[in-house]
Amino acid sequence: MIGTIAARELRGGLLTPLLWVLLGAGQVILAWVFLKVIEDFTGLGADERVASLSQELSLNLFGIAAVVAMLAAPLIAVRMLSAEFRDGSFDLLGAAPVHLSSVVLGKFLGIAVLLTPLCLLPALNLALLAGTADLDWGLVAAATLGLWLAALLFGAVGLYAASLSAQPGTAVLAAFGILLLFSIIGRAQDLAAQGLSLFGWLAWNEHLFWFLLGAVRLSDLAYFLMFTGIFLALTHRRLANRRLS
Amino acid sequence: METLVRVTDLTRRFGRHTALAGVDLTLARGEVLGLLGPNGAGKTTCLRILSGNLAPSSGRVEIAGRDLTRDPVGAKRLLGYLPERPPLYQDLRVEEYLRFCARLHRVPRTEVRTAVAEALRRCGLEDLGRQPIARLSKGFRQRLGIAQAILHRPRVLILDEPTDGLDPVQIREVRGLVRELARDCGVIFSSHILPEVQAVCDRVAILHQGRLVVGDQLGADTPTLIWRLRLAPPADAAALAALDCVAEANPLREDRFRVMLAPDQGPEELTRQLVAAGLGLRELRAERSDLERVFFDLIGVEEQL
Repeated sequence: MIGTIAARELRGGLLTPLLWVLLGAGQVILAWVFLKVIEDFTGLGADERVASLSQELSLNLFGIAAVVAMLAAPLIAVRMLSAEFRDGSFDLLGAAPVHLSSVVLGKFLGIAVLLTPLCLLPALNLALLAGTADLDWGLVAAATLGLWLAALLFGAVGLYAASLSAQPGTAVLAAFGILLLFSIIGRAQDLAAQGLSLFGWLAWNEHLFWFLLGAVRLSDLAYFLMFTGIFLALTHRRLANRRLS
Repeated sequence: METLVRVTDLTRRFGRHTALAGVDLTLARGEVLGLLGPNGAGKTTCLRILSGNLAPSSGRVEIAGRDLTRDPVGAKRLLGYLPERPPLYQDLRVEEYLRFCARLHRVPRTEVRTAVAEALRRCGLEDLGRQPIARLSKGFRQRLGIAQAILHRPRVLILDEPTDGLDPVQIREVRGLVRELARDCGVIFSSHILPEVQAVCDRVAILHQGRLVVGDQLGADTPTLIWRLRLAPPADAAALAALDCVAEANPLREDRFRVMLAPDQGPEELTRQLVAAGLGLRELRAERSDLERVFFDLIGVEEQL
């Protein structure tokens, strides 16, 4: 049943122009950053370079792709619940012999698949350099994995925000609010007492940073998977409570 | 007769507002139950609870013996539901949508094609299988909503105002379809159009301000004894009451009367006696149908000529 729901979401996502616009806009931004990094790197002498080309590209290209994914995921997620509440089509799932967990996982799987091409864009851009530059493909693979995990988290946050309101605009703003909070919360570490690193640990960008350096750490994997799970559980909870409200 | 739906003491509150209060209902196989009531009476809330889209504040709903709260998936397998707004995906084509609905209702893969073709045929949508849903007219969308509800041959069919937006021919077709479907399953049919409920349903439940005010069998179409008439002024009320066929005559306005005929008397005799007495008959019509009268009496709205 999860597959049936995911397939429907996938088909719906591919038929609407939103995904293609996001992919097109994302590629334009990445291409610009890509060219800028290459130009800056080639303009420096060997002794002036502080990082390898692979690291420079990884940090810049995948970093900006994460921001694009952060903006894209709520837009994709919001039509899966919020717009369905508004149009009344969610009643079809509500009256069907399907567990709510299957509905949540099906829709999340749909988001995950729809966000995957966006996560592969930086790696595809880097593939242009294959044969001309000696890139660290292990680092690229780690950065792609990190970006994909971050996109899953953004998708889960988007899905949760979409479950909160029947107004898609409100849901998108709620998702951006939550994601922005998770982006800047690391800065609170500077304001707090020394040694209190909880806020730093909560920020997704702190964990993605290690992937972009090529380090796949269990703690970072656990962070993304745990928060993705938490937001999916919150979505499930919200949908169950919706029947009561 | 097998009881398919049993609703016991169903109550639903939205904050301080009580939308449903202590509703009891039963539905047997082969029966069409009309849920009637003015706007805001609680019909849609009741049907949303029966479909599993809304949880009751208290009370119990059983679908063929399965508790909807404890075994929602098992109970929903037996349900077909058409909400007030057909639950359609604008981005899909008609056949794609029905295939998705079939899978959602656990129709075996090998039977999906047949089930979709059958639902399209029954709802008169055979030629629209490749049509995008976004381009369908309101009437066809309503029919597609019905198609998704009957696709998996449910044992209980819940239809919330299914003829809304349909033209007279389509309304007649839907009525026929409901009667046909009721041979194998039980149907709960909500409407605020009284003649429609009378035409389709075996039994009627009238909701008013969240309470079930009646749940009776619709009787056979017996001729009414109550008539309304208008006489040429000056209307002689005493002469009207004195007619042999009239048991009781009540003036409504200066030239209008409500007349109850004596048993076994009909309008032809009344007309004959009115003309013979020279009372100047200008208008004669039967009072509202039994259901209509019951409905207005129950919800406390006085009839006006």
